[in-house]
Order: sequence, then structure tokens, then C-alpha cells
Amino acid sequence: MILAVLFANSEGNILIERFHGVPAEERLHWRSFLVKLGADNLKGVKNEELLVACHKSVYIVYTVLGDVSIYVVGKDEYDELALSEVIFVITSAVKDVCGKPPTERVFLDKYGRICLCLDEIVWKGYLENTEKDRIRRLTRMKPPTEF
Amino acid sequence: MADSAGTTLMDLITADPTTASTASASNSAPSSAAAAPATQPTALGKPAGEKKSKRASLMQIQNDTISAAKAALNPVRTNIMPQKQKKKPVSYSQLARSIHELAATSDQKRSQRQLVHHVFPKLAVYNSVDPSLAPSLLMLNQQCEDRSVLRYVYYYLARILSDTGTQGLSTGGGIPTPNWDALADIDAVGGVTRADVVPRIVEQLTAEAKNADVEFHARRLQSLKALTYAPSTNSEVLSRLYEIVFGILEKVGDAPHKRKKGIIGSKGGDRESIIRSNLQYAALSALRRLPLDPGNPAFLHRAVQGISFADPVAVRHGLEIVSELAAKDPYAVAMALGKHVQPGGALLDVLHLHDVLARVSLARLCHTISRARVLDDRPDIRSQFNSVLYQLLLDPSERVCFEAILCVLGKYDNTERTEERAAGWYRLTREILKLPEVLGKEGSKDKSQKNKRPQPLIKLVMRRLESSFRSFSRPVLHAAARVVHEMGKSRAAAFALGLQDVDEGVPVNTFAEAAELHDSDESAHPESIRRTSSISNGTGGRDTIASLLASLMEVVRTTVACECVYVRAMVIKALIWMQSPIDSFDELESIIASELSDPAWPAALLNDILLTLHARFKASPDMAVTLLEIARIFATKVPGKVDADVLQLLWKTCLVGAGPDGKHKALEAVTIVLDLPPPQPGSMLGLTSVDRVSASDPKSALALQRLVQAAVWFLGENANYAASEYAWESATPPGTALMMLDADKMVAAASSRNPTLAGALTRLQRCAFSGSWEIRIIAAQALTTMAIRSGEPFRLQIYEFLHALAQGGLQSQFSDMHLSNGEDQGASGTGLGVLLSPMIRVLDEMYRAQDDLIKEIRNHDNAKKEWSDDELKKLYETHERLLDLVSLFCYVPRAKYLPLGPISCLASCVWGVPLGGNPFNVSFLDPKGLGHGMVQRILSLSEGIALRVKTIRDILCAKLVDVYRTRHNISVSTGLSDPAVATGISDLVYESKPAPAEPDTLDDDLVNAWAANLGDDGLWGNNAPAMNRVNEFLAGAGTDAPEVDDEHIISRPSVSYDDMWAKTLLESSELEEDDARSLGSSSPDSTGSVETSISSHFGGMSYPSLFSSKPTTYGASQTMEKEPANRGGPSIYESLVSPIREETSSYSSPGMQRFESFENPLAGRGSQSFGSQDDEQVSSGNMRFGTALYDFTAGGEDELNLTAGEEVEIEYEVDGWFYVKKKRPGRDGKMAGLVPVLYVDQS
Repeated sequence: MILAVLFANSEGNILIERFHGVPAEERLHWRSFLVKLGADNLKGVKNEELLVACHKSVYIVYTVLGDVSIYVVGKDEYDELALSEVIFVITSAVKDVCGKPPTERVFLDKYGRICLCLDEIVWKGYLENTEKDRIRRLTRMKPPTEF
Repeated sequence: MADSAGTTLMDLITADPTTASTASASNSAPSSAAAAPATQPTALGKPAGEKKSKRASLMQIQNDTISAAKAALNPVRTNIMPQKQKKKPVSYSQLARSIHELAATSDQKRSQRQLVHHVFPKLAVYNSVDPSLAPSLLMLNQQCEDRSVLRYVYYYLARILSDTGTQGLSTGGGIPTPNWDALADIDAVGGVTRADVVPRIVEQLTAEAKNADVEFHARRLQSLKALTYAPSTNSEVLSRLYEIVFGILEKVGDAPHKRKKGIIGSKGGDRESIIRSNLQYAALSALRRLPLDPGNPAFLHRAVQGISFADPVAVRHGLEIVSELAAKDPYAVAMALGKHVQPGGALLDVLHLHDVLARVSLARLCHTISRARVLDDRPDIRSQFNSVLYQLLLDPSERVCFEAILCVLGKYDNTERTEERAAGWYRLTREILKLPEVLGKEGSKDKSQKNKRPQPLIKLVMRRLESSFRSFSRPVLHAAARVVHEMGKSRAAAFALGLQDVDEGVPVNTFAEAAELHDSDESAHPESIRRTSSISNGTGGRDTIASLLASLMEVVRTTVACECVYVRAMVIKALIWMQSPIDSFDELESIIASELSDPAWPAALLNDILLTLHARFKASPDMAVTLLEIARIFATKVPGKVDADVLQLLWKTCLVGAGPDGKHKALEAVTIVLDLPPPQPGSMLGLTSVDRVSASDPKSALALQRLVQAAVWFLGENANYAASEYAWESATPPGTALMMLDADKMVAAASSRNPTLAGALTRLQRCAFSGSWEIRIIAAQALTTMAIRSGEPFRLQIYEFLHALAQGGLQSQFSDMHLSNGEDQGASGTGLGVLLSPMIRVLDEMYRAQDDLIKEIRNHDNAKKEWSDDELKKLYETHERLLDLVSLFCYVPRAKYLPLGPISCLASCVWGVPLGGNPFNVSFLDPKGLGHGMVQRILSLSEGIALRVKTIRDILCAKLVDVYRTRHNISVSTGLSDPAVATGISDLVYESKPAPAEPDTLDDDLVNAWAANLGDDGLWGNNAPAMNRVNEFLAGAGTDAPEVDDEHIISRPSVSYDDMWAKTLLESSELEEDDARSLGSSSPDSTGSVETSISSHFGGMSYPSLFSSKPTTYGASQTMEKEPANRGGPSIYESLVSPIREETSSYSSPGMQRFESFENPLAGRGSQSFGSQDDEQVSSGNMRFGTALYDFTAGGEDELNLTAGEEVEIEYEVDGWFYVKKKRPGRDGKMAGLVPVLYVDQS
């Protein structure tokens, strides 16, 4: 289960979040935990370099892309390696939408489209589509495989 | 920070980016002023007063919504986003209104662009969607042709469906929105609720999902997807979804679909097959989101079909469903898969599918089926799946390979049994991977030739892991370490079960050769894993399991250098698990010691490792001492970060688990911390030495101090258990020690008799001199506990020591150990005089009473006088009184404990029927006459028949005389030879409960059994947080959000260490049961190491987390009929709540008060209850107090009005709010509630 996907800016403000199966009262803790994690570790990290953490049996993989840091939280089959796959799909999609690792400005300009991409990538706690082209087609209301 | 959050997200809903920050920062436009603070809740570290602004912003949204709804009812045909507004943030109402209006003009290009580029992206920022937007969205859905608009429409419809609606909370995040439904209810205009719109949305989406028109194809897929977002509690939507999904699969699932190699996921192919494939994908994706239906053959059938679909995502979903179903019904799944697993089948195609998660599911599926017991009669099927699983070990993806390794190791979820894990280790070290012929045939390349050679799994796995450990990717390193960690678990399980042939010195190739011999039945019986093991004629020069492991562990160790602390933690866990009882642990010790010197370690991770130690102990109790040594490093290196509860639990379980031989060493390992030189503040020398404590800052120095206190307390509590020395089992008659008052002789006798106890005694004596004030107190308490529990000569030795300690003067003798801590130790030399006197007094009383008894016995003997009823009664009363007194200091088993010495048992038995439940249990009673006497006594009491006092007295005198004579070596036999008495005994004994079985022999087994069942026999009280943590950890459970602030030791939630013990061990009824069952002399539950009243008493004092909770369980059981405790006067606890507080002024007064009540033990029986003197105050050991700084007006039901200067108790903190209690109700009558943190000054 992918428990959460979070996007935050460099100051630790959350831009997008998607929780699945996380009780409302725990979300605040997750937010602060993740942002603190990023603040402690993401300085000077290269774009898309993956960092890892775990808490109990929950795994966290996070990275930085342009001005935006991305966190993915999962458990069970979504361990640190599966989350690496997920975050890879997400970063490729974001780069695809923004054309490059986004500044915060660009990210916010493309906010709606990024939300749609995320909708195609993580669907009710499971990874769905992984291919960049396919995701692009689906966010444009086209079928996954064109005919 | 909060403000900038507002800025950035507000940027988004500001049409003109360049001026966004200024616009929102200044909040110039009053109409939009509220929107800016609305973004704050997503920001972190939000200020205390924010709740207010959030409320205000929600009100604003509400107003906006209402006005938007009004506007929608009375449409004003104007462009709602005029140019001049571009520079201001767009309010929610504007967005809502523009959707309503643009929906009406959706046929115009301009409206569409407006929607796609401005309205919809901005609306995405809000965390839920107002249901009143649904009609417009549905209108757009029907009328608009634009793809981008439609995609957003489906997105928002799905979000309306998924919103649970109760709190307006959804998975969306972003700017908080009000509870739309509640809003609609109070909205006079006639608002729209979810209940109104959901059926309409479902209706429309259902119709679209059933629309088979080719032109509608893409929309059909999206509407099906949107429908799956409905919460699974909505059974109506669920049944519709099932209907749609199965309807689609009915049409497209059965079609000829045999995919060809290379087609998977690629473009091309004819239009019809692509449409079919898309539909297959959409249907299976939806099916994946539906609840599993294990009994439904159609469900299974469609999922199995999915494995051979052309769309790779569909294949993954199919496999995931099938693998989940297999866990529930492996037989049905295996049958349904049928030919798919055979060469050329769909499952083997998945091996080459470019979808990692699909192959992960394949590994799980294969594992489940190949281990299913229901398929025992189909070894062929099981071996086919097993073979696929082994092939996945060669998978290029680490994720898949590791999953396969974990499956081989028997790790599936966290519920595996030890046997499965042990068998997993056996498989890994013994089994061979043989690639099936079909793969070999595919090419005649050298590579495949090479791969074709059978390979031992262990070699493959080791090679793979070693290369993973060379990776630069942190997730890979973490995962690899985790795999090694799981390997360690399986290995430990194999050792624990004593699996045959776990000999790791055997060359692995031996098995490969052996396997070839058994080619015909190779892997036909995956469970018969021992078949190849008999051959072990390996020669040197070949890899052994041990050598492979050694080289792997070498690589693992180097990974400790990883920058990421989480990876390091996982590595250390792996090392702990791979550590076997026989290996030297020097290397591990130094790794951990140097690691812990790194301040980067978060406390949560360190405690996680402590829990790992605990788990490791459970798997191999014989590692107790090693683990304690490791735990000791934590205690000395990072005292400020480790959770003292977890540490204590570890100490305790390890001590118990160390067994009779290891107990001494285990106690040493815990208490060696007491021997270390005190930390030198600021000194960075010897950071990596384990024999040096590091507490470089005041906080950790304080924590270390607390830990030392805990260790001293632990020593006092458990020394008797570790030394198996109990007064009530002492072989030495009480008089012996009195006769050798020469101190030197006494010490010599003591240490020769029981070195463990003598060692503990020495340590405590030194602590009583040289520690800090708090440590000296606890050391004195611990010594008293030992004195009370130990037999002679220890008791006398302590007695003398305490005397000397109280009066001073002895210090010169110990001056070589005395390390001044710079404190003025006062006239007594230790500052403990006041504290010591009651302890000495209780020992005084015991000795005096013993003397008196002996005197009496002599008198009676000399005068040939019979013991009168009154005399016996007096004896019994003294016994009881002393017992009560003793129980104040520490726990003793009342049924067994004899403050007057063994001779007194007689008196107490005769008079004390209720004394210990089962009077038969006094094992040293001479059964010849005394048993009869007791029985008679009991019988006569219970039947109301007059006691034949004469007989009893005769017997009594005989026994007393006997004792006396034995002691003086006078061999005059006066045994009773009355046959009536003798037969009477046997009759009575057999009629009544069975006599206790030889208590001495039970010891070890019981201890071990007890230790083995620690987790689940309820002994540990399930409400103990430390235990919970351990259990959660062991169960691998917990998606709980992490605690970010767990660095604050002092404010950690209270811990009921003593509850844990008191509840389960101290209740007298349970003890009596135990006695009746005669759980043996040293059974840990009766005596092992039980929380005492002293320690719980001290809990209020200086262990905020250790013992602080409620000692009342014990106190209550002891003081039920006692007078109510003195509730007046200053509470001793209140003044001692905070350990940091200045102690100088308060320390004598509480002491005095406490001891005053001791002065008169009979009159002051209330003093007994000091353990429970004031429940509230004791239990508030962690309570913090504060003063209101400002007036605060409650804004909500759960908030509390405050007047500046008011004093409050702070119960806990949550999100910048304190939950506080007032001393007296305020004007509104409220006592407790939430107030902002900043309003309270913590004292």
C-alpha cells in the first residue's frame, strides 16, 4: 500500500499531498516527520538522488527535483525498492509536464496537470501506470494504448 | 514559515504570478483576506493561535460558498475573472462561481481555456470538492467536448465520490475546506449535499462505463476509473462496479488473446485488439480496487485470465489479485492456474515482463503455492511453482530478487512461525537452482550454458547481496541490509530449533553434487529438505556456508560507513541478527560503540535497535548476556536517547532468560555501568571506548544519572533472584550469623556462599557512598531490599553497613572507593541518616523479635512450660506486624516470608490460617508431627470443633525444642511416635490438596518456560507501553505516524513499569495460587524481581518515565482495610515531581514526614499506604505544572478559559495545544480543556 505521496517546497511547505489508508489524526505527524526528514537530509542532494528512511514497518523514499522535494511512503509490498520505482515514475512525469526539473514557480504553473498525472500514477494506494507516454495520453483523455 | 506557505500556494490561485507574493502578503483586498491564512494548516510548525485563523478562514469559505450558490441561482452573465482582478488571489467563491458560469457556456473555446488553465488547476488546491459543484460538473461532462476539460471533470467527480464527507477530510490535501454537507444543511438558500449528488454522479458514470461506442472508448475508461473512487462502504456502487467489470470481461476477456513475444505493452496491432486490450486493462484495474471475493470462481477466473492479457499493467493487476487469493485458497488458485505455470505458460512469460511489481507478485504467488500444505499430494505443482520462484532469484531487478530471497527464507508477512523460518534457512543453504530445460534450449549462447549449471541458492544469493552492497543507491543498501536481517532471523530460527545439519562448515557444492545424483526427484518434495544433507565429505578449498557468510558479513560491516543513518541502523540490526551465540561479538560491540558516538542518530532509531535486541533475545535466549553487553553500550553511550522502559524490559527479560548459569553474568552486564568512572563533562576522549560513559551535555548527563539510578534499583530488586538467595529458603539458620559477629568473617562467609550476591552487595555499598544524592538514596533502598530478602549472613552484613552509614565513621574504611562528587555530605557522612533510620529500625525489630522468640523458646523449654494460647497469639501478631512492616520496603511473598526466622513458621501456621493460603506449603516443616498439628488446627477451626490445644502444644513444644536441640547439637530424640497421629496425617494429606512437589527441582525449567512465554502468557500485562512497543515491533505492525518530538525524555508519556509487575505479580491472590501450585522455591514470579513499594514510591521522585505511573495497584492491595491515608499536609510527591528541581530544601522535609509516620508502626498503619497516599499526585509523576500568562477565551467546546496567573496542571500537549486541568473550576464550571501552548508558562 502506498500510504502517502507528498510534494513540498524547499521551505517545507506542502504543495500536494495524497494519503491513502492513513487516519486523519496521523497525517499531521507524517507531514512534520517527512518535512523534518527532508530538512535534515536533503541539503545538497542531487536531483533525483534517492534517500531512504523507515519507521516501524513503513518505508519512506524521498528525493529532490528542482525546487521541489518529493516523499513517498509505503508499506508491505511497497518497500524501499518498490517506492523507488514509484518515485521514479513520479519524477519522470513531473519532468515531462514541466519540461525540466521544476522551479517552484513552474511547478505551481503546472499544478493541475501534475495532479492529473499523480491521479494516473497512484490510484487508491497502488501504483498504476508507469510509462511516461501512457501517463501523458491518459491525462489528455486518450486511451492507454492509441489506435 | 507559515506565511510563506500561504504565499506559495496562494501564488497558484493568483492569476498573475509576478505579483503574487506581495498580493497575498499584504492581503490588501479585504474580501480575499481570509484566504491567505487558510493555507496555513498545511504548513508546519504552525503557531498556537492558528486555530483561530483557520476557523475564520473556514467561515470565509462558507460565506463564499453561500454567495457562490446564490450567484449560481441568479446567474450574472459577467466574466467573473476580469482583468483587473488578476493581481489578487482568487477566492473560493470566485472559483466556484466561474465553474457554474463556464459550464453554461462550455461550448465556447474561451470558456474551455478558462476552465483548463485557470479554474480547474486552482480548484485542485483545495482539499475537497464542494458537492454543490457537481451539477455543473455533470453538465460539463455531458455537454463539453474538450478532452482536457473532461479529464478534469472526471478527476473532480472522482474526488467528490471518494470524499468520506464526514469531516470534509479527503485525501486531497491542500487548503482545508469546510464540511460541505454541514454547510449545506445550515444554508438557507438550499445547499447541495453529497447525498444529493452522489447518486446522480454514479448514475451518469455507470451509464458511460457501459457505453460500448468506440468513439466513447477513452471516456468509458475514465468513467470506470472514477467510479472506483467511491468508498468501499458504498455497497450499491460496489455491486454496480462488479456488474460493469464482469460485463466488460465477459466480452473481452475470453477473446483469443494469446499474446506474442514482444507485443506486451507495445504499440501497434489492429484497432480492435487494442480496444480490447484497453478495456481489459480498465476492467482489471477496477477489479484490483474492488474488495477480494475469495469464494467466487468468476473472480478468480477473470484474475487468472488477466495474467495473459496484453496490457502489462493488466497483467500486474491480475497477478496481484491471484497472489492475494492464493494466500486464502492456494488449492483453488493452483488449479485455476493450471497450465500457466508450465513451460511456455503465461506465468513464465511474466518472468520477462518489464514490470517490477508484476514479478514481485509472481514471487509471492509462487511462494504461497509452493509452501501450501493443501497441495501436499500434488508435489509436481508445488515444485513447478518452486522452480519459478528460484528463477526469480536471477531477476535483474533488486526488488524482485530480494522478494524471492525473502520468500525462500520463509518470510512472507510477519506471521510466520519459527518452523517456517527455520525451514527457510535450510532451503537457502541446501537447495540448488536448476534452470528448466526450456530456458536452456532458447539459445546456445555460452551464457545460458553457464547458467544452466546447477547452482546452490546460497551462492547465488550471497553473490547478489554482495553486489547490492556495492551499490550507491541508499534504498538498495537499505533493502539489502534488510534482507540480511531477515536471513539472520531465519538462521536464528534454524539454530533455535536445532535443525539437524546446520553445520555451516560443510562445502556448499557438496549439496549441488548430491542434488545431481538425485536428479529424478529433484525438488519434487520441496519440504523434504534434508535429503541431501547426509553427504558431507567436502574437502578444503571449497566454499562453505560459513565462509560465504563471513565474506558477506564483511561487506555488510563496511556498509556501516553509509552516510544515511537509516541504512546504518538496518545494518546494525542485520549484524545483531546474524550474530550467533558462539561468535565473538567484539567487532559488533566496537561497531555499535563507534556508531553511537555519532550525534546524528535519532532516538527513535536507537530504540528500534534496542527492540531488535529484545527480539533477538526472544529468538535465542542463550544470547542474553551478549545482548545485555550490547544494551550496556546504549546505556552508557546514549543515555539521553534510549527509552529507559525498553532498556529495563530488556534487562529483565535477559536476566530471566540467562538461565541459572548466566544469571550472574547477566547481572554483571547490567550493573557494570555502576563501575564506570563518572562522565567528564566536555571530554571527548575515549568516545569509542565502551568502558567510558559519554554524557557531554547536561541533558544526557541527567539521563545517565537516571539510568544509573535505574541500574541501582534493578540491582536491588533482582540481586536476590540472580543469586538465588532468599531468606525464606535460606539453608543457614538465622542464629548462625548472630554468632559470628566478626565482620571480616562474615564477609568471607558471604562471598564464599554466594559470590553473586556478595558482588552486588559490594557494588551497592559503594553506590551508597559515592553516588550522587539520588543514587545514594536508591542504593540504600536497594540494600534494604536485599537485607530483607536475603538470609544470613547477608542480612546482618547489610544491617551493620547501614548502621555505619547512618552514623558515619565507616567512611574511612571505604575511603579508597570514595569519589567525592563535590557535595557536602553532611554530618552523617552520607546525608542519608534520616532516610536510613526507618530501614535500620525494621531490621532492628526483626532481630529483636527473633531474639525474643528464641528467648521465649528457651524459657518454655527450661521451665517445661506449655505455650499458652495467648503466647502463641502474641507470636502470630508479631509475625504479622513485622510482615506488614517489611512489605513497606519491598515485595516479599507473604505466604513464605518469616520475619521471625524459620522457627516462627510454626506459630504462624498454627495461628495464621489465612496467612498464606496453603499451610502445607511450608516445605521445611517436619511432617512427622507438625503437619498433623496444623491439619488439626485447620480442621478444628473450620468445623468449629474446639481445638485440642493440648496436642498442638505438645507438638509445638516438641518442634521448638527440636529446633533448639538441633542447633545445639544435642542428640536427644523426642520424636512423636503416636501411630494415630501418623496415620491421621496421611489420611488428611491425601484427602486434601496434594502436597507440594519438591520445590527445589522445578527451578530451571520454570524459569525457562516463563522466559519463553514472556510475550504471550499475560504475565507482562498488556497495558505496559514498553511491552506494547516490543510486541508491535515484533509483529512488524504499525503504520502509526512517527513521533517527531520523541527527543524530549522528560515529557515522555508515563510508563507503568510497575503496573506491569504489580498487576500480574503482586496481587496476593495470585501469589497464593502460585503457592498452592507450589511454583517452586525460586520461581521468578514469586520472587524474581518484583516492583516494590519503595521503587514505586521512588517513582514519584526521580523516574519520570521509569516507575512513575501508578503504584496504587500494589498499595491498594496492601492497604485495603487500613485507615485512609493522611490526605492533609504537603504532599511529598508534589515537591519531588521534577527531578531537575532544586532538591536541597525539599529533601529533608519529605523524608521526615515519611519517617514520622513510621515512628509508630501500629498506630500509624496509615503510613503503610504511603505508596498509595495520594493516587492522583503519585500518578501525576509526569504531570507538568504551569501558570497562565495571559487571559484566554475559549473559542470552542474543547477549549478552556484561562485567567492570567491561574495555575494549571498540564496533562499533555497536542499540536501546539496543552490539555490542562485547573485546580478549581472556572466561572464556566469547566475544569479541563485545551489552551494554546504559548499561553502557559511551564514551571
